[in-house]
This record gives sequence, structure tokens and C-alpha cells, in this order.
Amino acid sequence: MMNQGSTTNTMATLDPSPQESHQVVDANQHHMSSYYAAPNSTVTPWAHTADSYARENGVLSHSGYDHDQRAALPSRNVQDGLNVATSATTPSSGDTNVQQDYSSYATYQSTDPYGYSNTGYAAYYSGYQQPSNQSYSQPSGAYQNTGDNGYQQQSSQSYSQPSGAYQNTGDSGYQQQSSQSYSQPPGAYQNTGAPYQPLSSFQNTGSYAGPASYSSTYYNPGDYQTSGGYTSGAYNNQTNVWHEGQYAAYTSHQYPSYSSDTNASYSSTTAPAASQYQQQYKQWADYYNPTQNDVTCAPGTENISVSNVSSLSCPVPAGYSASGVHASASHAPPGKPEPGLSTLAAVQSPAVGGNVHDSYWKHWAPSFQNQQPDPVQSYGQKPLDVTPSHDNLHTQQSSSCPQGPSTQYQASYQMPHSYQSSLPTVQQTVTSADTSSASKLQIPTNPRITPTLTTGLPKLDKQSYTTNAAAKPAYVSVSLPEKVSSHAADNALKPDAFPKSLRGYVERALARCKDDAQMVSSQAVMKEVIKKATADGTLHTRDWDTEPLFLMPSVDADNKERVIFSVPVSSSPTSKRSPSRRYKSRWEPLVEEKPTVQPASVTPDASKYGSWNRQFSGGKSDNKVNNSSHLKFSLPQRKTLKIDVFRPAKRQCVGDGMDTADNGEASSDSDKERRQSAHKSAAVAAADTPEERKRRENRSKRFERGHGNRVASNDTRSRNDGAGNVYTRRATALVLSRNIEENGNHAVEDIDWDALTVKGTCQEIEKRYLRLTSAPDPATVRPEEVLEKALNMVQSSPKNYLYKCDQLKSIRQDLTVQRIRNELTVKVYETHGRLAIEVGDLAEYNQCQSQLKTLYAEGIKGCDMEFAAYNLLCVILHSSNNRDLPLAMSRLPAEARENEAVKHALSVRAAVSSGNYVAFFKLYKTAPNLNTCLMDLYAEKIRYAAVRCMSNSYRPTVPVTYIAQVLGFTSVLLTTEESDDADGVDDCVEWLKAHGACLTSDNSGEMQFDAKASVSSLYMPEPEDAVSHGDASLAVNDFLTRNPL
Amino acid sequence: MAYISMGEAHRRITDFLNRFSDAVSSQDAKSLSLIFSISSNPSFLVAVSDALITFQDASRVIRQADRYSQYADILLPLFRALQSYRLRNLVESYQAFEKAANAFTQEFRNWESAWALEALYVIAYETRILAERADRELASNGKTPEKLKGAGSFLMKVFGVLAGKGSKRVGALYVTCQLFKIYFKLGTVHLCKSVTRSIETARIFDFEEFPLRDKVTYMYYTGRLEVYNENFSAADHKLSYALSHCNPRKVRNIRMILKYLIPVKLSIGILPKTSLLEKYNLTEYNNIVLALRRGDLQLLRRALQEHEDQFLRSGVYLVLEKLELQVYQRLLKKIYIIQKQKDQNKAHQIKLDLIVRALKWLEIDMDVDEVECIMSILIYKNLVKGYFAHKSKVVVLSKQDPFPKLTGKAVNS
Repeated sequence: MMNQGSTTNTMATLDPSPQESHQVVDANQHHMSSYYAAPNSTVTPWAHTADSYARENGVLSHSGYDHDQRAALPSRNVQDGLNVATSATTPSSGDTNVQQDYSSYATYQSTDPYGYSNTGYAAYYSGYQQPSNQSYSQPSGAYQNTGDNGYQQQSSQSYSQPSGAYQNTGDSGYQQQSSQSYSQPPGAYQNTGAPYQPLSSFQNTGSYAGPASYSSTYYNPGDYQTSGGYTSGAYNNQTNVWHEGQYAAYTSHQYPSYSSDTNASYSSTTAPAASQYQQQYKQWADYYNPTQNDVTCAPGTENISVSNVSSLSCPVPAGYSASGVHASASHAPPGKPEPGLSTLAAVQSPAVGGNVHDSYWKHWAPSFQNQQPDPVQSYGQKPLDVTPSHDNLHTQQSSSCPQGPSTQYQASYQMPHSYQSSLPTVQQTVTSADTSSASKLQIPTNPRITPTLTTGLPKLDKQSYTTNAAAKPAYVSVSLPEKVSSHAADNALKPDAFPKSLRGYVERALARCKDDAQMVSSQAVMKEVIKKATADGTLHTRDWDTEPLFLMPSVDADNKERVIFSVPVSSSPTSKRSPSRRYKSRWEPLVEEKPTVQPASVTPDASKYGSWNRQFSGGKSDNKVNNSSHLKFSLPQRKTLKIDVFRPAKRQCVGDGMDTADNGEASSDSDKERRQSAHKSAAVAAADTPEERKRRENRSKRFERGHGNRVASNDTRSRNDGAGNVYTRRATALVLSRNIEENGNHAVEDIDWDALTVKGTCQEIEKRYLRLTSAPDPATVRPEEVLEKALNMVQSSPKNYLYKCDQLKSIRQDLTVQRIRNELTVKVYETHGRLAIEVGDLAEYNQCQSQLKTLYAEGIKGCDMEFAAYNLLCVILHSSNNRDLPLAMSRLPAEARENEAVKHALSVRAAVSSGNYVAFFKLYKTAPNLNTCLMDLYAEKIRYAAVRCMSNSYRPTVPVTYIAQVLGFTSVLLTTEESDDADGVDDCVEWLKAHGACLTSDNSGEMQFDAKASVSSLYMPEPEDAVSHGDASLAVNDFLTRNPL
Repeated sequence: MAYISMGEAHRRITDFLNRFSDAVSSQDAKSLSLIFSISSNPSFLVAVSDALITFQDASRVIRQADRYSQYADILLPLFRALQSYRLRNLVESYQAFEKAANAFTQEFRNWESAWALEALYVIAYETRILAERADRELASNGKTPEKLKGAGSFLMKVFGVLAGKGSKRVGALYVTCQLFKIYFKLGTVHLCKSVTRSIETARIFDFEEFPLRDKVTYMYYTGRLEVYNENFSAADHKLSYALSHCNPRKVRNIRMILKYLIPVKLSIGILPKTSLLEKYNLTEYNNIVLALRRGDLQLLRRALQEHEDQFLRSGVYLVLEKLELQVYQRLLKKIYIIQKQKDQNKAHQIKLDLIVRALKWLEIDMDVDEVECIMSILIYKNLVKGYFAHKSKVVVLSKQDPFPKLTGKAVNS
């Protein structure tokens, strides 16, 4: 996605989950309003920061807060069973959001207009680390700086519990934003109970990875929108920060967290409890505090702060924003400046203490009476005395409430969010509100996602979004027209709130659900019911207590819906990255093995999910292992992933099949999808044995290496995988340098090359050589037996060298890709080397020689002496470098000097170095093996030198017969055959004439070489077969005649 | 290893750190260079190394004080290098030391003056030495020795820091020499070219301004390069320069120079005194010189064979082998002199048979054609003035100066 587009796109992507999107929108709006207000109002809520940025941060934090709430929602949904519909939608949105985030990230990375990323991050990190180490005492200090006593208290109190968690987790977590926040939640959950861990993780994810996890759905959208509102530039900055800071880290951490979150949340559904809620609240408080801290820590720039807020400090911002919103809403109408002021007031108010709370409550109360009681109840339920946290929550809620009435849609939306997060009872109202809003919005949004609808609607969405972004003030006052309408409806609904009885109804409905899939579907049904009720005005009049429960919806239908969502997502531009994740997911198992696989349901995009999970798992493990940095995670992930369980992998595979929603244990529900993905996942699911795992690992590696080409042919998705692969590789490459220490150890040594080696299956003996441009295909690679036959065929073939060379090269290639290094290999190279020598193809010979050198060095038997001699001759004859010769000679082992061929080569060298042409041609005639061929290549040179020498030293003449004899023009020594001699003389005469020698005849008619006359007339003729490019074998004529091999 | 108390260890470390920061602040290159000389094992470095092994958290000590922490980039890896060196983990030690050296080089680049040149010399030296040892360790573990190569590229970087204008340029030649040592050891002498070009083409700095020590080393190595290239007159000039400027008490260095200078001189027709060869224990050349004096081809061949490995390794084998023609010349001259004693008039005609017989007597089996060829070559190369009459198989010598002396010029090949 492009930068500009990113904001709009993100919105569009958000759309799939209408509620979420709305919420997001709301969050954005809130942000916008508050943000604007801040600049206008000179008074900054955050005294310490004093920067308008701080406010922005706070505002942004709003979005983050929303996220958190959202995250909470799924869990609650599970528990309460009321929000089912919302939860179901949320997951989808979450996925989309994630994609958006990614895309946005990508774009930002490219832009990098602001150098903030590094510094900002560092600052951020440092700030975080401190809190973690010191267990929040510092954060409180930071707050003190801000001057808000009340806040300090809140933070401290809320922190107190979390602090423990932090400390525990602290090691791994704090360096990484995500890890920190996440770590806390898990800790808290652990204390309270297993179910809530997911929530915590959610929150974490939300805060950190906004993009990756649910939070991202709310969050990211919120952030993005806000950014859009601010300006694309600001947005860019944020993204930049993220990118540079740790893109890799992002994916890994966030995703991991995300997956865990989803899982956890679902698991939690099994054991929903009031206490859990309380815990959640606490956590929320904690989160708030941390976020606040974060804000203080990273005052540097808007971008940074924004990023921080969005990513890390979702909770805090939420608190702030909430308070700010409250102030604005409650105190005054939604004026621009007011929000800012209100935020200040809100901040201050907490400081003031319980009174403020009361005031908030009061404010709140008028607007949402129904809701109020709920929160109160929840609080009552909570055994904890975390007043500050409560305050925060209250403020948040209140803020959302006031906004709602104030005319802004945001308010209405936020309301639901906050409620959901805070109280189950509230959730009912929320759900209703959401559903209403959602229903309206959903339609437009969904189309965007779905490919068919995309054409028309997306544009609209974009436009609307863009308009929003462009007109910042519009945001403050009134957002998009479309939304406004829907929002208005929502607003109308909200004040009424949902009757308690409705809540009970929803609870009952959800209680029936046996598994998540049912829950999701029943949620959807309830959404419809409530929507209908609100539409015809019977929402409050109807007797929900007696209302019959609807029939249990079929999960399949639900799944289908999701499928629709998922498909579009994958097709969307943002999906680029998803493939990578999915790819991983297919092969790499998740860390967690929780019984409930509901997370899948959450994400329409199974693929993305899988990837996240994977990354997550990696990240998780890393966290434990590394305290260091996010960056390191990316690569280690893979390995750690493999180590982890694989059940998740199965699920992921199922997810690949499109709908992951119910997978997991609810096999009956997701049978369809399973069947779809069955063939893909079969291998993965085959067995859980370590061998199987290892095998799978290897396979996955191989695919990575092989660009996934083959996979692509089998499965269209695999193509995405390939792309994703590339993407991830690039991403990891960025991190690689830092990872080297850790990865380096594993990566190279752990690669099982044997597993990667191709085993050929081709039975054809003849094969033309083609330089590989991709991974070798076993179907075209010949196994060793066949290669041996091929070699024999080549050796006995009557065809010309070009054919043989071609064949030998293909044999060599097959040997290489199969990593065969034995006597056959040596034989092949020797054969080729000899052939090359015979025809004087030194380039090919040198290749063979260098290979043979290493093969011999490995102890493989062959004609090493013969080739040592060739090597020596080559150095002597063809190397202009005098340094090579002593080197080559000194490397000769002692026994080599006893070898006939080597001795001969050494003698040749001596003859050449002294210029003894007589000795040279004597040796030429006695050369063993193919030494002659190599000497041939030097003969011309030495003959010319000899003739030159003769012309200078002999007087008056030299008989040509003598020259022919000493210069090797006779094939045999004089003694044997006269005819040969005569031929030799003729050749010699011809040669001498060609070189400008002066020949005369003496009295007896014998041809004489006139030495003195020749001194000045000798010349070296241009070789007849010379071509301008220096390689006769490339001559055009030769090439044309060569075609029929 | 003696047990050291924590306090003692801490004291030693702080002492070391103080030494470093004092040396830097007072620009005391001497003591600074001492700090880096790991391989020479000064006692206080050993003490610090022991302390570092005991006191693991030395980095905290560095970070405690500003005056240390600003050099943390140098000190931290240096500590690691010291520690690993003491633990005989040479690869580790080299890697850490190179990091420290790199940081120091950066620091050095920023300093206005070249006061720390001395320390930089030590660093360059230690880098090379440690790399060599690390390579030995790698090789003994069956791994590819690559550290010396890495040291080469690092020193090239250091050379870049020094090679510019200004006072730091004085140090460039030292680094160049270290690079030469690395390249010659690795057999990648072609890499020397870029360095020598930079030294020899720079007009802004007179070669004579470099320290004498470096000049001698430089001339020695460039002279060797010329030997490889068989550019004997240039080699003669450079090696002679090195010899004449070398400290006469450095016998080992003189011997190294002579090892190359003698073959060069031989190939241009200048024979050393036996006493010189004996003084510097260069007896491998004894027989070669003797063969040249006597015209004893067999002796030459035996001498070459005897020390073949040595000559091949030092790279003078081919040079010595080419002395064969001079031996032929000497032999011919001897025959000529003998003939002259017999018959003044016919002395300038030497029959081929006679030469073949003489060679036979030297136990060298060559047929007439080959000897004829050799005679032809001798004439062609101007070692003998005259001509060869093929019909009568006679070498006809010029009546004036039939055996011209080389007089400082090599046999033209």
C-alpha cells in the first residue's frame, strides 16, 4: 500500500469487521479531536512533557486503549458469551488490520523521511527498560514529573501487582516493548489463572504490535486514522519508527503475542470468571501506567510518541484519552480546544482523587445510566482495591460515554469499546451498539474486502477516508457522512443502553455454545437479533428474559462468511506479507498447544494467523532466551518454531484452508475447511515424532531455498508463500547483521545438506547441458548409475568434441547437484580434462583441473600424477607469471618426482627455461599421455625462438633438413623412415617461408636456411585461424557448422 | 594460575585503565604502545590478564568513569583480547584485538597530531602477529586459516588513515612493511602493488623522510618483488640499498637481504667472496659460486638439486637455474684457454666434439645436437662472440673478446 493509501486502506481493511472498524474510526476520531484540541489549547495536559506531542501521544493512546479493550472483548465474549458476534467480527478485523499494519509499515520504511526511528526507538527502549528494572518506581517518578499526583498513585497502585509480573518477566520482556507489556500480562494471568493469559497477551499484542494482534485492529486503525488525520507525514513517521526500530521484531513479537493471545483468549473462554475480569482490569491499569510511562519516556517527537503509544502504550493512552474525552464530553461540548482541555482536566482529575472519579461517574451517569451500574458492579466484583486502575477504567468509560452523547460518533463507538473491556454487563450494551453501528457500516466495509465488491465500494471508502484525513477539523466536529449516519443511529441507541434483560439473554445464548465456533455463530445471530430489535424499536420493550433462544446456527454458514473475508484479504495488496507468514505457518508449528484453537476463528486469514503464530512462537522462545533485542528474533524464530509443538501447525494448515475459526478441537465444525486443506496439511499432520518434525523442517528449508517454485505449481497459495518467503528473507536480512551472533551459530551448522540434496530420477542417458537457473528438478537429474552409463556412452561416442563436452558438462552438473564426489566424479572430470587437452580447450581443462585438485585432495583415487604433470606443463607453457612455477614445483610431493609423466614435465620445463629447443622437441617425441598436446600449444613459440636464435648464431647457412629434425617437423627420428623425413622437410620449408625465413639452395640442391639474411626478415605471422575476439572456437563459421551436434 | 583476590584484580584493572587514560591524556606514546603489545607478554599485561580472568565484569569498571568509558570501544575488546590471549584462545584474542585496533585507529584518525604513531605501529605489528598465531591455531584445528588475510585488509585500512598528507604520513611506510610481510607470507604478492604505487608515486613526501628502519624493510621487500619479476638490475639496486643501510649488527637481517642479493649478483656476473658466504652462513650458495668459477655444470645441477626446496620456497630457484648458461660460457672459455695454450692460431675454433667430450667428462650426457643448440643459444644471448658453422660443427669465436663479461647486466633472455 502506498502511504496515502495506507491510511485509507487500513480503514478499508478494517471494514471487514464493521464494529471494529467503527471502533477504530471512533478511536481515530477521538484522537483527532483530542489531538487537535491539544494544539489549540496552550495548556498541555502533560505538564512534564509540555509538548503538544505528549497530548498526541495521549490521544494516540486512546486508540491503543481501544485496542486493549478490544482484545479484552474476545476474551469476554468467550466468557460472557454476550459479545460473541462482536468477537467474531473482531477477529476478522484483526486480521485485516494486521495486514494493513504491515503494509503501512512497508510503505513507511521506504519513505523514512524522519530520522526518528532509531533515536526514538532507543529512547523508547531505554525508558521501558528502566521501568521494568525498577518495577515502576521510575514510571511513577515520571508521572510525578508530569505533576499529576493522582496519576502517580494510580500508576503505582496498578503497577504494584503488575510490577511483580514485570519483574518476573522483566528480563526477557523489557527490552522489547511488546515483550515487556506482554510479559506483564502473562504474569498477572498466571497469578489469577490460566484463562486470562490470553487477554493479557492480547493487550500486549495490541499495545505493541498493534498491527499484528487484535489490538492492531482497533489500535492500528486508530493509529492510522489518527495519523491520517494529522497528516500522512506524521503517519509515515510513526511507521518509520516502527520499521527501522524493529520491523523484524515486530512481526515476530507481535505475531507471537497475537497468536498466543488468541489462543489464550479462547482457552479462557472455558473458564470465564469474574475474578478474571478483575484481573483484566488490573492489567488494564497496569497497562495504562506503562503506557503513561512510555509517553513520558519518549517525548522526543510526535512520531515516536505516536508509535510508542500505538504500539506499546495502548493502555495508557487509553486511560488518558479516556480521561480527556471524559473531560471534554462531560464538561463541555465536543469543541476542538475543549478536548485538549478536557484531557488536561482528566489528567488532573485523577490526581485529585476519588472525588474526580465521582465527578466522572456523574458525568457519565446521565448519559448512560444503564451502563453505569454495570461498571459499578464489575468493580464491586473486583476484590482488588486498585482504585487508580478503577479510576482509569472509569475515566475511560466515562470519556467514551460523554463523547457519544456529544455528537461524535467516536464517542458512541468508544463507549462500546470501553464497556466491553471493562465490564461484561457493559458488553451487552456495547454489543448492541456495536451491532447497530456495525450492521450499517459492515456492508460497505465488507464489500471492500470481498473481491467482487471491491470495485465499487472500496473507492467510496477510500474517498471517505481520505476526506477524513484531509479535513482534520472535520474529524473533530463531524467525521464522515456515512459514518455519521450510522453513528447517529448508534448514538440514539446508546443513550438508551441495552436493557439488563437483553444481557441476560445474550448470556444465556452464549452459555449454550459448546465451542467457539458455535459461539461465534451464535454471536452473529444475536447481533442480527439485536439489530433487528433496535431497528424496530423493540429493543427495550421486548421481554428479553422470556425471549426464546434462537436455534443454534450452523457453523458452516459462519465459516463461509469468514471465508469470504479471508479470501479478499489475501487478495488485497496488503496480503503480500501474509504469504510469508502463512508459508511459515504451514511448516512450522505454533508454540502453544492450548486445547482451544479459537484464535483461528478470530482471524479470517488463517494464513496470516499461522505466520503470526509462528513468529510469535519464535518470539516467545526468544524472549525467554534473549534479553537482548527484538531484532534478533526474526531469524531465531524459525528454529525455535520448529522446536515447538506442532499441533498448532496443523491448525494453521487448516487455517490455510481458509477458515481457521473453529479448527482446533472443534473438528466437526471445521470439517469443510479441513478437507480443503487436508492434502496440504497431511504431511504436517502425519506424525508428531521428532523425526517427522525434522523431516518437515528440512523440507521447509528446501522450499525456501528452491523459491518454492515447485510448491507453487501445486498450490496457488504456495506462490504467495514464495513471495512471502522473499519478503521475509529480506526482512530477516535486515536483521541478519545483528542476529549473526546467534543465528550464525545455528544457521550454517544446522543446515542438513544431505536433506537438501537432490536425488535424481531421470533415466535418460543423454542429456544436453543447460545452466541451471533454479533449483534442480529431480525429474531431470540422472542418478549415479545412469551417469556412469552416460560417461561410457560419451567415451565411446564417435561424435565430435562439442557434443562430448556438452554431455560431460551435463554429467558434471548432475553430479554436482547430487553432491556425488567419488571415483566416478574423478573419472568424469579426468575424461573431460583429457578431451579438453586433446582439442586445446584450456578453459574447460582448467575447470576440470581445479575440480580434480580438490577431489584428489579429498583422497579420491584417480590419475593424479598424470594430471599433476598436465598442471605443471600448463603452468610452464601458459602462465606468464613466473611466481606460479616455483609454487607449483614446490607443491609436488616427493613421490611425484619419480613419476614418468611428472619427470617429463619437469624436463620440459627445464628445456623451456633454458630455451633448449632441441631438448624440447626430443621430449616432445617421448611425451607420455597427453603431454604432447599441451606441448603442441607451445611448439610454435619455441620454434620461432629457435629460428631466431639460429639466424643469429649460425653462419653462413643451416640445412633445412637439420632444422626440420631439431624442431620436430619429422614425426619420427631420422633413422626410421625416409618418407616421413621428406614430409617433415616440406612442412619445415613451408613453415620457414611462412615466417619470413630466407631459403637458398646449395650446389647439391639441398635447401639451406640463410641465417644472416633471415636475421632481419623473420617475423611471427598472424595465426590464420585468429579471430578478433581471441577465441577461434567462437568463430561464426565454426558456430554455424557446429549446430548439429 | 595464581589465585588473585577480587580486590587485587580490581586494582590491577583500574591500574591498567589509569595507565591507558594517562597515556592518552599526556600523549605518552611509549607507555600507550606498551599497553597494546600483547604478544611480547610484558609482565604487567600478564597481571592484568589474570585479573581479568578473575574479575569478570571489567566492563562495568570501564563504564564507571567517564575517562574510561569514552574509550570503551578500545578497552572492552582489548580486555577480551588480553583475556583470551592469556587463556591461549588465539583466534578469539585476534578477533577482539582487531576490534580494539579498529577503534583505536578511528580515534587516531581524529587526533590532530601524530603523537600516537608509536602505538599505532605496535598495533599494526600485534595485529599481524596475533593473526599469524590465530591462523596457526585454526590450521591445527583443521579449519581454514583466514585471520592473516583479515589482518591484511585491516592494515590496509590503517594504511589509508596514514597515507594522506601531513605528519601521519611518516607512519605509512611501517604499515606498508607489515602489509608486505603479510602478503609475502600469504603468497599474495600481487597485492603489494597498490601499496608500493602509493608510496612511490607520491611526490609530496620524499622517500628519504621515512624512518630508516622502514626504508630498509621496504627496499628489501620491493627488491624481492623485483627478483620475482626477474628484473635483476632493479632488484640489485633495491637490495643493495637495503644492505648498505641495514644496521650492520642486525646479522639476521643482513643475511635475509643477502639471500636474495647474491643470486641477483650472480645473474649479473658478480661473484661473492667465499668469506662473505661463510660469514652469513649462506653455504647453500657455495657450490653454485664454485660451479660458476669452474664452469662445472654438474656441480651447479647438484647444488640446485640439493637445495631445491629451499630455493623454490625463497623464489630464487629460477634465477639460479638460469646461471647454467654462464657455466657453459665458463666451460667454453676454459676450453678456449687450453686450446690457446696449445695452438695460438687455431684457438678460436672449438670443435663441437670437444665440447661434448668435456661435458661427458663432467658426467653430463648430451648429444651433439643439444650441445650445438646450447652453443647457438650462447651466441644468441651474447655470452659468446662468434658464430657456429653447422657444416663443420665448429664454434668460431671472435678474435676480440670472445667471452664478454656481463658487467652488471643480466643475460638477456
